[in-house]
Amino acid sequence: MEKTILIVDDSESIREVVSFTLESEGFKVLVGVDGKDALKFLNGNSIDLIITDLHMPVMNGIELIREVRGMEAYSRVPILFLTTESQTAKKNEAKEAGATGWIIKPFVPAKLISAINKVMR
Amino acid sequence: MRSMENFQGGFIEEATDNINDLESALLLLEEDPANSELIERVFRAMHSLKGGGAMFGFDELSDFTHHMESVYDLVREGKLEVTRDLLNITLDSVDLMKKLLVVEDERPEEISVEHSKLVSGIKGFLVDAEENAPRGQVYESAGSNPDSGGTVIITYLINFVPDKDIMKNGTNPLYLIDELNSLGKTMVIANTCNIPELEKFDTSKCYISWRVFLSTSEDKNAISDVFMFVEDDCMLEIHKLGASDLLDDERFVRKIEECRESDSEIEINSIKDFAKSIKEEGNDKKSRQIKRKVANGRENTISSIRVSSDKIDQLMNLVSELVITQASLSLYTENSNNADLQPIAESVQKLTRQLRDNAFSISLIPLESMMTRFQRLVRDLSDELGKEINFSAKGTETELDKTIIESLTDPLLHIIRNAIDHGIESPDERKNKGKPANGEIVLKAFYSGANVIIEVSDDGAGIDPEKIRKKAIERQLITPDSALNDKELVNLLFLPGFSTAESVTDLSGRGVGMDVVKRKISSIRGEVDIESSPGKGTVVTVKLPLTLSIIDGLLVKIAGSQYVIPLSVVDKIFAVEHETIARASNNLVVLDGEQLPFYYLREEFGLDGKPPAREEMVVVEYENVRIGLATDSVVGEHQAVLKPLGKFYREQEIVSGGTILGDGSIALVLDTNKIINQFSNNNKIKEVIS
Repeated sequence: MEKTILIVDDSESIREVVSFTLESEGFKVLVGVDGKDALKFLNGNSIDLIITDLHMPVMNGIELIREVRGMEAYSRVPILFLTTESQTAKKNEAKEAGATGWIIKPFVPAKLISAINKVMR
Repeated sequence: MRSMENFQGGFIEEATDNINDLESALLLLEEDPANSELIERVFRAMHSLKGGGAMFGFDELSDFTHHMESVYDLVREGKLEVTRDLLNITLDSVDLMKKLLVVEDERPEEISVEHSKLVSGIKGFLVDAEENAPRGQVYESAGSNPDSGGTVIITYLINFVPDKDIMKNGTNPLYLIDELNSLGKTMVIANTCNIPELEKFDTSKCYISWRVFLSTSEDKNAISDVFMFVEDDCMLEIHKLGASDLLDDERFVRKIEECRESDSEIEINSIKDFAKSIKEEGNDKKSRQIKRKVANGRENTISSIRVSSDKIDQLMNLVSELVITQASLSLYTENSNNADLQPIAESVQKLTRQLRDNAFSISLIPLESMMTRFQRLVRDLSDELGKEINFSAKGTETELDKTIIESLTDPLLHIIRNAIDHGIESPDERKNKGKPANGEIVLKAFYSGANVIIEVSDDGAGIDPEKIRKKAIERQLITPDSALNDKELVNLLFLPGFSTAESVTDLSGRGVGMDVVKRKISSIRGEVDIESSPGKGTVVTVKLPLTLSIIDGLLVKIAGSQYVIPLSVVDKIFAVEHETIARASNNLVVLDGEQLPFYYLREEFGLDGKPPAREEMVVVEYENVRIGLATDSVVGEHQAVLKPLGKFYREQEIVSGGTILGDGSIALVLDTNKIINQFSNNNKIKEVIS
């Protein structure tokens, strides 16, 4: 079955390059421009994976992750976050909030796919 | 196939937005250095620039922003204060970032000098707080983990005991086992002895642990990478069993299967020993290609899109052509008496009008987009001149055609520069005059009919009319006996070559005066006016048309030629006997009980022929002055697509352009505001200007 991935990032170019990569891999891609915007997709849609940036103007990634984990329907959806900070503090905060894993920017498409493979088939 | 380069253009646009946002946030931060929301905004903009820069091949930008981000990370954590020095270097950095967005080999060389100078400056800020904040490594560069090229196959035993709660974050441990499988050849033994009885079974918990035998050409790092997301949530052991593909060895496989069937605990050491006893080479290759279906349709719900301005220009041109073609259709329909064609032509006309309005609204952008530049100018210049100035802007959501905005930035910069340089006094001088030490410059924009008005006011010294008179006489612009009132004197500033600055400063008073401002604003059919009260301040008013290319007009006929009067200024139309006009003294007629000055256009334009017995007087209004324009007859409404008349007609003031009518003939579009101005202006000024 076709898998649906929700991408949440306030940067258009990142959204473009990520959705392009994922679509070439055959995923169905939904796009949110910030955490709040992303919530509109979480209304019963079948979503197999969420990839979110952490720094966003309206509802940041951490808040989004907490929100998603609070929803019964999506409490187990794998969530990857995009980050440039390799510091453990940020990662731990996101993991604490319920993130499944992370992708470090910058990345090459292969890296993105490999991170996705760790959390979704 | 698209590649990364295809995204670069998009990134540049986005980065420009980010840099602009960064700049305006920094300027706001200067006012309010402790505002954590602003600091967050600064940080976020830098963060996006860094991440995007690295992904799209702007390594210098990314590297540079990284340093900046580190500094602001400290600010965010309260370990560093926002000081003037910090803001100065940050703003300089913003300027550099703009330059770094240019593709590398098109950049002038001095940038790298500037770059390293700023980087060392920025690092200075980092030194203080260094021991408090151990900065991790810069960031992982893309593809820093190349596959180990060797073909040596090693067999590992991986013991993976996940925490019971590992699944709560959306982790599925089976995927990890799958991924191990993709690294090479595996045998997996699941340990199920911890699964509780059914009534105690919690489906959200993970009760299973795994032992995986893996023979692979990948190194140990690649294996631990598989578990990178869960390393804190599990017990993980990776043992090297031997430098060969043991899974290719029947004896070894049999041994493992025995263990699996008997469900007995696998003793690591005994397996290791067993492995040692077997010495054979295997050469199986991994197969780890992940294939997926071809891309499918995309569901995209972004509410706005970015379009290049070329495309908009093209759209506007097409709409203009369509408007002209539609006029031909309407005319043809009218003449053809074809009843079926009538409704079609009408709906084409309606649609064209809607399309035109829509296309126009697309090319409108808010004045807001210019504000950062103005704020920056006020900040830098007041700093330099030792003046304290508050700059505020109202109505910046007011929208104007983008071509107007483009031509407007420079004149407005000049006007604001004048206000800072010549208008606002030094703090001491202000205190002596009983004014607050901080000067005020206010930019106010608002709609007024089919125009947008932009007012730049300051509470500075104002303009001394007597000084202007002296200078104007000195420059032989007026004669000593010219009787000009204050407003007229102030308007002399717009004459070429006029400058009141007694000393030439760095910025204004370089010979580029208000005349250039006036010329530039006139070129976009705008007008500029100065009002000043000495000691209290100056207001410069710029009046602009909403759009440049298409206007709603009233088509009129004079001596066989057609002219267009902008509909926005038309107030009333009267039918007037020719007799009345001919007999009028001082070009005044009484219409509707009101004395009305008028232009007899037929005469003004020097047109021959016999006027009709009954003429039509179009009453136009501008700045509370009403005048009549006497025409032969009014034809009707017309959407006029303005076409420039060409350079030979640039000097004339009363025609703003030409337009093509439905039958292909040409009508001139009258600039009624100029006509009215000429009418109402004092004759003395007219002399001076001409």
